[in-house]
Amino acid sequence: MSAVINFYDNNKPLINKVLSVALLLAILIFLLPIIAEQKPSRMVQSTITGLLVGSVYSLIALGIVIINKASGVFNFAHGLMMLFGAMIFYTFFSSANVNPLAAGLMAFFTVFIVLTMNGLADLRDTRRLAIGLVVGLILTGLMSLPGRDLQFVRAIIGGLVGSVLVGLCVERFAIRPLIGQPLFASVLMTLAVSEFLLGVTQMTWGSVELPLQIFAWLDGTGIPRNIVWEAETLLGGDVRLRTDLLLVLILALLSFGAFVLFFRYTSVGLAMRATAENQQLAQSVGLRVRFILAVAWGIAALLATIGGVLQGGATSLSLNMPLLALRAFPAVLLGGLESIGGALVGGLVIGLVQEWANLLFPGTQAGTELAPYLVLMIVLVIRPDGLFGEKRIERI
Amino acid sequence: MRKLILTLVILALLVSMAVFVQAQDMAMPDFIQHSDCEVDLTGETITIYHFGDISGAYAFITQPLLAGLADAIAYYNAHGGVCGAMLATDNRDTGGDPAQTQAHYDYYSSLDPKPSAVLLYASGDAELLRSQVEEDGIVSLISAGSVEGLYGEDGQTPGWIYATNPLYADQLGSFCEFVAADPMGVYGEEPVIGYISWPGAFGQAAFTPETIAYCGEQGVTVLETPEIFLPTDTDISGQVLNLVDAGATILYTNTLASGPFLVAKTVVDLGLEEDVQLAGVNWALDTSVALLSRTALGSDGLPAVNGIVGSLPFRWWSETSEPGVAFVREQAAANERSLPTQNIAYLLGFSTVDLYTELYIQTVNRLGSLDAVDGAALKETLDGISYSPLGLFTADWQGGELRAVPTNRMAMMMFLNATMDGPATSGDDALKIPNDDGTTIYVPILVPLTEFAPAPDLRPGGE
Repeated sequence: MSAVINFYDNNKPLINKVLSVALLLAILIFLLPIIAEQKPSRMVQSTITGLLVGSVYSLIALGIVIINKASGVFNFAHGLMMLFGAMIFYTFFSSANVNPLAAGLMAFFTVFIVLTMNGLADLRDTRRLAIGLVVGLILTGLMSLPGRDLQFVRAIIGGLVGSVLVGLCVERFAIRPLIGQPLFASVLMTLAVSEFLLGVTQMTWGSVELPLQIFAWLDGTGIPRNIVWEAETLLGGDVRLRTDLLLVLILALLSFGAFVLFFRYTSVGLAMRATAENQQLAQSVGLRVRFILAVAWGIAALLATIGGVLQGGATSLSLNMPLLALRAFPAVLLGGLESIGGALVGGLVIGLVQEWANLLFPGTQAGTELAPYLVLMIVLVIRPDGLFGEKRIERI
Repeated sequence: MRKLILTLVILALLVSMAVFVQAQDMAMPDFIQHSDCEVDLTGETITIYHFGDISGAYAFITQPLLAGLADAIAYYNAHGGVCGAMLATDNRDTGGDPAQTQAHYDYYSSLDPKPSAVLLYASGDAELLRSQVEEDGIVSLISAGSVEGLYGEDGQTPGWIYATNPLYADQLGSFCEFVAADPMGVYGEEPVIGYISWPGAFGQAAFTPETIAYCGEQGVTVLETPEIFLPTDTDISGQVLNLVDAGATILYTNTLASGPFLVAKTVVDLGLEEDVQLAGVNWALDTSVALLSRTALGSDGLPAVNGIVGSLPFRWWSETSEPGVAFVREQAAANERSLPTQNIAYLLGFSTVDLYTELYIQTVNRLGSLDAVDGAALKETLDGISYSPLGLFTADWQGGELRAVPTNRMAMMMFLNATMDGPATSGDDALKIPNDDGTTIYVPILVPLTEFAPAPDLRPGGE
């Protein structure tokens, strides 16, 4: 018996990998007959739907990864930031006449927070103040645009300003005071922020489910809401593609491209990666940790808002939306906590697994409750840092 | 002197007129026929203890419920309360978390004196607390419930929780009767129901072996494999296609708010409008479903949920010939309640306060004082009561034999036409109201398809 234990201890990684691969093969062998029974059109449909739904998870996962990459914090408030940002967007989208005073307050407070990212001393710079004043005025004007024709411009600017303000405020008032403290304190703080945002959302917008009609413009362009591939003879049935979700996929791909470039080629992006490794060390070599964290939270809040708006447009705005972020957690872990590309792949894989599980095991909750986590478990056993995560060696 | 006398006479007249007007204001409308008060409860307070999911998945329903409770309590208190006693509420939010439900119940049940009655909301809460309320002697009212919550695991043991709607299982049974009769001629000769719903006690409450068997007896097949989706799902085309591929011609959903909307939207997205009919639980006909649906129009240009059939076991906002409905509409308008608030739950809030009032009057009359009222006394009253709160439904639990109101009727959700004299047949002739958010509001109307009739008793062993 002890020989067996010794053999296992000596070859633990290899044995675990062999067992995992064997498990995967067993699952595939189990699934093959079930897959063979499916109509080809349904398999294509599930693949397409899985990729489209997965792109929503990818966008959410990206926001979580950005925060983690910059600060090492797993942001449990991301779901509420999605909803909160989307609600701000909705407010500007649905109000034909925004109060310029309210818009001005929001714009100038955002400018103030941005200008003071490194501290209040920066306000002594008159040039920065002048630029801030001009930017504040422009933002106020754009956010106060009257009428229906410009509702998208108004809402996009309002949503951008609002979400960046939320992200910066979370960083300034909740996360920044914890710099140097154990990361667990920051993680707990994100839970507190989540509850706080829930309360503010309820007090401001109530609990009524709201329709967000951002894809209505498609009707005027002649682009159908559903693109139908009539494949009765080829696949035994039609295949449909939701145009709104296709736009989500395109936007997700563009976002990923932009952030890959940002982290690889910009000094702020590189500094974020350094800050995530060790905040105190990064500060000691001259990196502006507070600024970097603020940028990360601003970007993450913006991504959260984009995700919330797109999900709200595809379904509706409701207090349930934050729960969707829970579905993105496996995507984050699957792709790797620090990997931008991993978030994309993780989200798409989870979407695919979910839709295929729905197809192969009808009438069960395998798609939403079981399959994504099973895949996650198998992948983590084989690659504990996720598919694209950075391998870490802890010296004891 | 004559001037003084004249002035005094005028003053006296004015005072008496004021008293008369005040008395008129204090009186309830004629159609509210509470029992006569035999005990003066002036100076007392009766609290309606309510705890439920105010911030989670059911918030779209519970927020209007709170509005209904608040408006009704304000009105009843301004009109004498319960024999002089003032009504009050104590609302607590569970957020849909059973642990919070338990915590709030523990708080209530440890009060001294402990509440005689509590108002619950979710089927899951009823299942969780069923044995506890019985043990503590606290009677409970709930809008609708599952078999297990109201009758226990054996389905045969009436507990201390009383529902003001038919059981969800009975509602599906009623629908199967309706499909079998097929008065609209749309369900075909071999109707097959595919059950698509949320997970959990509420979502699964209607899918029982008894219901499936009963529907089968009516000639309506219910597919053995239901499909489950979550309120957060972005797309449920896979679930809908699974049911359609399995032969479903009707999709029945035991969900609310975004649930029925998402099912209807998916049917439109998949181009299945001609192939499947939509149906659901009473909550599927709610205003919130209709308003959400304005973002997804069917091929007829009307919101995707147009034509969904479901249970309507109470009077609805559009039945203005009913004085109770007209009264609630007046109150909602007076309190500036928005269209989304004018839903099922607002009606429920008002009728609950009226039922509480009658319940306490009858119980206090029997016992002689409010202090003597406890849960057991209220239960005794509920077992024997036959009362129609505001005429919206009839609270009659058949001498204590039942725990869910047994009468039901079917209705269809449609949308008002431009001339406001009937349902629209297409988007072209629908009444369209521009909304602040740039969308167009289509005004939902519920068209009763049958008269009130007993629903089948589909408890295990029921008939």
